[in-house]
Amino acid sequence: MKFKTLWKGAVLVTASAALIAAISILGIVFFVFSSSVDSQNWGVPIHEISNALIWDGESYVLTEESLLEQNHWAMLIGESGQVVWSLYKPDEIPDQYTLSDVASFTRWYLHDYPVRCWVREDGLLVVGAPKGSVWKYDVAMQTQVLFRTPVWFLSLFLLSLVGVLGLSCLTVRRWFRQAQQIRDTARSNWINGISHDIRTPLSVVMGYAAQMELAPDLSPIYQKQASAIRSQSQVIRDLVNDLNLTMRLDCEMQPLRKENLQPTAFLRQVVADFLNGGMADGFDFSIDLPSSPLPDIKADPFLLRRAVNNLLINCVRHNAPGCTISLGAEAERNQLLFWIEGGATTQTIPSPSPRQLEPDGGAAHGTGLNLVVQIVAAHGGTVQFFTGSVFRCELRFPFVSHR
Amino acid sequence: MPYSILIVDDEPALQSMVCGLLLQAGYEVQSALSCAQALEQFTKKHPDAVLLDVMLPDGDGFTLFQQFQELQDIPVLFLSARDEEEAKLQGLGLGADDYITKPFLPQELLLRLRAVLRRSYRDEPAVVRLGETELNWGKGTIHRTGQEFALTAKEFALLKKLWDARGAIVTIDALCNALWDGPLIGYENTLMVHVRRLREKLEADPSHPKYLLTVRGLGYRLEREGKP
Repeated sequence: MKFKTLWKGAVLVTASAALIAAISILGIVFFVFSSSVDSQNWGVPIHEISNALIWDGESYVLTEESLLEQNHWAMLIGESGQVVWSLYKPDEIPDQYTLSDVASFTRWYLHDYPVRCWVREDGLLVVGAPKGSVWKYDVAMQTQVLFRTPVWFLSLFLLSLVGVLGLSCLTVRRWFRQAQQIRDTARSNWINGISHDIRTPLSVVMGYAAQMELAPDLSPIYQKQASAIRSQSQVIRDLVNDLNLTMRLDCEMQPLRKENLQPTAFLRQVVADFLNGGMADGFDFSIDLPSSPLPDIKADPFLLRRAVNNLLINCVRHNAPGCTISLGAEAERNQLLFWIEGGATTQTIPSPSPRQLEPDGGAAHGTGLNLVVQIVAAHGGTVQFFTGSVFRCELRFPFVSHR
Repeated sequence: MPYSILIVDDEPALQSMVCGLLLQAGYEVQSALSCAQALEQFTKKHPDAVLLDVMLPDGDGFTLFQQFQELQDIPVLFLSARDEEEAKLQGLGLGADDYITKPFLPQELLLRLRAVLRRSYRDEPAVVRLGETELNWGKGTIHRTGQEFALTAKEFALLKKLWDARGAIVTIDALCNALWDGPLIGYENTLMVHVRRLREKLEADPSHPKYLLTVRGLGYRLEREGKP
């Protein structure tokens, strides 16, 4: 859908650019052709003036003086280069011309007067216009260059098109980002609302179930059932918590409050809190932390605690009581390696990350581990999961560099 | 005299559950479904602590908390369905004593309420018992099998820290922080020496401790009734 829309946008922009270019080129050509004239035929056609200039046997006479426009002047240069007739000729215009003078002014100007020339049997008729009234330019181009003109036009057009497409692409991407942000916010708000509304009824269910679990006047079978309700409610609670946070991280709406953390002290506290919460009763814990402190890492303690807790919960949920859960941390080059494993101690093989959220309602599955991946990624770290009869997960975070 | 607790929550089912729980735990309970009711109860009954929801039909818990503080400085625990870190920070930043996110386990609520009341009213008796052993906080001594052992300042601080969290693991980092007001670096061996000396005074058989237990890799735990 996104690609289709982008493709449509690109076609639209290209078509628009081509249309603009075509109209511009046609317009320029039309303007030039309609506005320019033959280099000898501006004003009243010179051959008409020439026809009106006749020899009456004694002198030359312009029979229709009105043909000479206002402020224009005319002269006839004889075969010898001498001016034989003139009308309104400015004083600065000479009366005698050489061949080179004639060759020069026929193409350009005569003393800055734009002039037209007409060859007659008895000489050369020159009609001059006021200074600055006409622009004369003698165009000459090699034929090869003329043939290359379409290539130049096409290249320039394509270059402009690339520019226009680039700008359009940036604009379209911005639109997409804004639309995506609106969708993300709506989705996050919806999940936030749902998780908020679930929490209060779940408190009541968990609260009563936990009280019934310990009620001395309830038969063991009912106590067991109450215990199941309580533990399953906790699963729902964890799921709701994870879903909410995973959505916020996915939409980049979760602020990261990073601070320098001493990894060994932090991990000891997280594991101690987990054990103090009675989450791992019946499990053996083996903790392997170096005796000397490890370098600091920069992390958000709330998020990192959540990631480690999720891994601990995962180990507890997928193993039977009596099983050993091992965890530890060590320095690995310039990284912190934190590992946790639970289950029988056999060879494990790397496995891909837990699958991402799916739109078909499969979001709940693996959300806890997916959240671990998101949190570690937000801290610039890496996660590796190993499958087999023993679950193992390795997290790596860069140490804070002290320069 | 039992502590009286005011519960402010607009959800009657939750309120009923928490009321039953607190009554069973020996507290006196008042309840309110809105800010207006809560202020009325607060001024009339003068509760010792408040469990306060953040979102109420006629206002928000944070503003109500500030109104309570203006009337009387008593411990307040937020009990909220909002789990965002900002909401927690806002609540705790205002000076609340704790912030509990729904849903919660009854035991967790009771433990945290008890901890807040203990911190706020400091009603710890001067003499407490740990099995057969008697700990005298006033004199800083341990009485066991007719003998009295005086505690050094560090041993006293160590035992008090463990006692306050009895039953729970206290990490070596938290203990060092309590004893030397700093991180663990360089103090681990010294801490072990203090623990060994404390055991000699606290335990009948320090080599096989019943009360002050080591949690390998993490820290120490003071058993409530002693390991059998």
